[in-house]
Amino acid sequence: MLDYILIQAANGLVIGVLFALIATGLTIIFSILKIVNFAHGEIYMMGGYFGYYVITLLGVPPFPAVLVAMAITFLFSVGLERGLLTPLYSPRIERKADYGILITFGLSVFLRNIAIILFGPFPLRPPSFIEGDLIIGGLIISYDRLVAAGGGILLLGALIYFLNRTVWGQALNAVSQSRESASIVGINSERMYMLAFGLGGALAGGAGALIAPIYSLSPSMGLVPDTQAFVIVILGGLGSVSGTIIAALLLGLSENLFIALLPDPSRGPSYANAFGLFIMMLVLLVRPTGIFGRQHVAME
Amino acid sequence: MNDASPLIEAAGLAKHFGGIFAVDHLDLAVREGELVGLIGPNGSGKTTTINLMTGHLRIDGGAVRVRGHSVGGLPASGFAGLGVGRTFQITQLFGRMSVLENMLVPGLARPRAHKAHVIREARRHLEFLGLAALENLAAKNLSGGQQKLLELGRALMLEPRILFLDEPFAGVNPYLRDEIIRFVQTLHAEGRTFVIVDHDLDAIQRLVHRLVVMSRGRKIADGPLAAVRENQDVIRAYSGA
Repeated sequence: MLDYILIQAANGLVIGVLFALIATGLTIIFSILKIVNFAHGEIYMMGGYFGYYVITLLGVPPFPAVLVAMAITFLFSVGLERGLLTPLYSPRIERKADYGILITFGLSVFLRNIAIILFGPFPLRPPSFIEGDLIIGGLIISYDRLVAAGGGILLLGALIYFLNRTVWGQALNAVSQSRESASIVGINSERMYMLAFGLGGALAGGAGALIAPIYSLSPSMGLVPDTQAFVIVILGGLGSVSGTIIAALLLGLSENLFIALLPDPSRGPSYANAFGLFIMMLVLLVRPTGIFGRQHVAME
Repeated sequence: MNDASPLIEAAGLAKHFGGIFAVDHLDLAVREGELVGLIGPNGSGKTTTINLMTGHLRIDGGAVRVRGHSVGGLPASGFAGLGVGRTFQITQLFGRMSVLENMLVPGLARPRAHKAHVIREARRHLEFLGLAALENLAAKNLSGGQQKLLELGRALMLEPRILFLDEPFAGVNPYLRDEIIRFVQTLHAEGRTFVIVDHDLDAIQRLVHRLVVMSRGRKIADGPLAAVRENQDVIRAYSGA
């Protein structure tokens, strides 16, 4: 039993890291553009497929394929932002939050269906990063999971460095705090919206490419992580990157331990998402702004 | 660049909201080194004029020119890049950043900025404004008056050619008001150009050499203080006649 709990805890941390990648993308988009991106799970899915085809069609090895997939997802997301979201920045749209919800919800349905047409409805699996399992005593974990977690940690580290130590990161931070202020100090807000949506998409795409060898790819693979990402972002506090990372790790760990501790573990995975939502409801009852909450700021 | 041109100029500037003209074909030229007061009753279009001349509102008619070049359609960040700075009636700071970080953002956002130089400049301005001891405090924790000073300091980090100050004396105590007047006078003596909007006529009269008066979106007077004070249109606008 102890070994099983240990394995579940390790899996929970791996999944938590990947959730963190997806959810930080979502929270960056929210804090800069002030919209909830309902198509984030589908962008994650597209990133997985980009990685798959970069490996199978172009022959790029799996490790660099993740970075290439991220770059393609970045450009893909920037294209979506330029094509669909620019009306948000003009006074022509009065109900910006409603527009954001409708347009990204429509986009999620469109991307899911276009993926069925383009990639087919059947699961696809890219080659492993490294074949085999790591076995230490009772702990058994696949190398693919370890690579995914390691890659995710590296990407999160790079993200934190980018946000805190670079001029672009400072500019994003400035826009998230006050668009008016950012514009008067010479920061082009529209460029930051583009960067934020591209960056958020690239993080989700990277998670998709990292998780593909573990769970396979399918057009509907974004649905559950999308819900999880919303739970994490709400738990972590809307707009808080560090809160999001901590909440993701906590959620991944607690969901997997919940599965391990259920009397009938075979049913556990079916209830795992419900458990996550239950935690979210409890936290919101006590702290409506999330664990590391910030006040919600609507798009002006 | 044309040195004979005004530093910034509004020509036939118009902005309407619905059917009402907030700014009604306004002509206003400000030359390098001027210190101009822009006053008028509430709703006369002063802040809208600033917003139009700094890229915060899209113009509906006329033109804005910086050193003779038309800059209509440029975003606010583009105006900042041209050396047109401003502050807001209600201060707009990066609340979660420290005082020093607020100063660094505009400095580092400029092309080819060197961090060490930017930090030195930021500390020099904070010293000048009396905020040096507060550099590590979050901006949101400053008093209202200190926030106004920080906003002014942050604008200075852009090394602006011209600064539009929107109601810098609103809600500040008399001591701080005198301090702000002193800061503006010092900066003006160093060669900076100012346009100041405020309802505090005493402070405005102590500061400016030229007064522009607006009423119902139009310019009704423009000239030296003494002449404007005697202007019957101005008296009527302020007396509500």
